[in-house]
Amino acid sequence: MANESSPSDMRNVWQSQRTEGIHMSMEEIRGRARKFQKRIHWRNGREYVAALAVSVYFGFELWRAHGLMTQVGFGLLIAGLAYMVWQLHRRGSARDVPAELGLANGVDFYRRELARQRDLVRSAWSWYIAPVVPGLLLVTAGFARTNPRHVQHPVLSMCLFDAFAAVFFLLIWQLNRSGARRLQKRIDELDALQGLR
Amino acid sequence: MAASTSAQDNLYREAAATYGAAMERVARAYEADPESRRDLLQDIHIGLWRSLEGFNGLCSLRTWVYRVAHNVAVSHVSRERRHRSQVLVGLEEIELLPDAKEGEGASQRRDTLARLLGLIQALKPPDRQVMFAYLEGMDAAEIGEITGLSAVNVATKVHRIKRVLARRFEEGERDGK
Repeated sequence: MANESSPSDMRNVWQSQRTEGIHMSMEEIRGRARKFQKRIHWRNGREYVAALAVSVYFGFELWRAHGLMTQVGFGLLIAGLAYMVWQLHRRGSARDVPAELGLANGVDFYRRELARQRDLVRSAWSWYIAPVVPGLLLVTAGFARTNPRHVQHPVLSMCLFDAFAAVFFLLIWQLNRSGARRLQKRIDELDALQGLR
Repeated sequence: MAASTSAQDNLYREAAATYGAAMERVARAYEADPESRRDLLQDIHIGLWRSLEGFNGLCSLRTWVYRVAHNVAVSHVSRERRHRSQVLVGLEEIELLPDAKEGEGASQRRDTLARLLGLIQALKPPDRQVMFAYLEGMDAAEIGEITGLSAVNVATKVHRIKRVLARRFEEGERDGK
């Protein structure tokens, strides 16, 4: 059996590997490209519908709430959700530039991809968490202030709920921060590589 | 509009006919799972067709195709890595990793290919692109055009790739005897 360890033999093995071949007609390509677009619209649509459903619920609670503080809180929650949806829409629609795939070389494209992910996780707290915090605080404070009879310790309940929410948000923030740091490390490696250009 | 669509379609047909096998090899270099690889290959074809609307002729069609294929594959890997815990390494570290070998009875050619795939799939994207381009038989200038690395940098990486390959496969042969 011949040895296949020289670089040219390995290139030969690599280049002559059996390929299955993919045959897609132009109709199929166009159909799948449309499907791809639809999939993105559908994914965004699901987020919008979910946000709308939650907003309707908050609207109902706002209508039913006693006390100005709780009402303002629910109003702020709805506004926070609207801001989140707008950010999702803005960030999602800014991406799709098909020609970029062929114009950008490998390192530049990869760096941009990493930077996009880093910015997304780094800024997530400001558009995904922060917008709902004021509303949440006001709603819980309003809840404690109205002192409903069916809750024995409304202030304690409010404090526990807010503390739980704060721990949850801090955990997300921390996870995002370490994710952004990992991505930044990979970007730095690429920059070091590009420094040798 | 119709004329540009037709030009885009014709370019795509030409690219798919000439570089279809190469695109499949790119998909293999990035995805080990057959089902996901088929999806990736389709995504590469769709990405290529969509990108050709903006093909400006400043680089060759071959360079464009390889760039698109690698860039679509890199996005795929970034997406998939969120679900998998595979750690990618650089060429410097790959020499330290244990070699993956096929079971007994596999032909040497198949074994060589499987080990090449194992090596290439474990590399970080820039190193993977250089190794892929090297195995495809490209010269340093072409590799630089696709990856964006300087000729000096490419030469260093190719030198390292040759060393890794030589060591890995010499060891493999010694073990096989």
